[in-house]
Amino acid sequence: MSKPTTVLYHLSRLILAVVFIYAGYIKAADPVAFAGQVANYQILPYAWNFLVAATLPYLELFSGVLLLLNQRVRPAVLVLFVLNLIFMVLLSYAAAKGLDIDCGCFKPDAESKTSPMQAFWRDAGLLLLMISTWMLRNRQAPPEEGLDG
Amino acid sequence: MSDLSLSPTLKRILLEACILVTVAFAVGLSINYQMVLNAFSGKTVSAAPVQKTTQTKVVEELLPNPVEIGEIDEMVAEGAMLIDARNIADYKAGHIKGAISLPIGEAETKLESFRQQVPKEQTLILYCNGFGCHDSFDLGVFLLKVGYQDVLVYEGGFPEWRDQGRAIEEGLQ
Repeated sequence: MSKPTTVLYHLSRLILAVVFIYAGYIKAADPVAFAGQVANYQILPYAWNFLVAATLPYLELFSGVLLLLNQRVRPAVLVLFVLNLIFMVLLSYAAAKGLDIDCGCFKPDAESKTSPMQAFWRDAGLLLLMISTWMLRNRQAPPEEGLDG
Repeated sequence: MSDLSLSPTLKRILLEACILVTVAFAVGLSINYQMVLNAFSGKTVSAAPVQKTTQTKVVEELLPNPVEIGEIDEMVAEGAMLIDARNIADYKAGHIKGAISLPIGEAETKLESFRQQVPKEQTLILYCNGFGCHDSFDLGVFLLKVGYQDVLVYEGGFPEWRDQGRAIEEGLQ
């Protein structure tokens, strides 16, 4: 892999790692407040919001750590890709329903709200980073060799 | 006909992704199992548990008592009054049936008219948006400070009440 491609791969991987470690950590620190933000979407029954708040932050956190360590990169990217698609569907739903809520993407009690549409476009950017990380990882470690995912 | 079978590498990536999901869920559940158990068994889930009051404390230290969703119907039937501590827009969009609005941000300005309508001996059940929302607790502390004697906080708040299919209504009362 050429040097610019290697730099691009590591840059996109590290950006994703930092974003998701931060997002996961900040939500894991206050799961009750995060459950409230999940509930704002008015999709899940009351108790299920707590189940999502108890588990989702660790999925983001662990995936981010794997990306940071450059280990199991494609499984971690796959998980985050699916999560991000789900987030984007939910954000579209919230925007279409006209819900005046904070997206709940990062700090649960953040004073400055991020609207669903703002969060949607930010997630679209992250999706592009995930695609580039996946593809550049393929070029770095060809699938036939199956080095470390 | 195209070959729909997955390559060994893709199979391995999918398997590792499943393991990652399972481990993350297991860790999250083991750390937060009490919160999840409480939520599914209808008990209060609180970021900072509401403390019990004691009769011997001085007025400045009085804190509202917690109340569970299962106790509310009976208390209301006995004369307790439901107070919605959220902002007026949230109240208009939907509130517990029979609740009156007293937003925490307007508590001081509306206190005089509230006092004229509600005697100090009245049992008050305060709620807000649940999920660790502090407005009902702060309003409870305020009402105890100004002389109300029986102030309770329903921490599940409007979301739990609504999601259990209990009676709600919209607009101003």
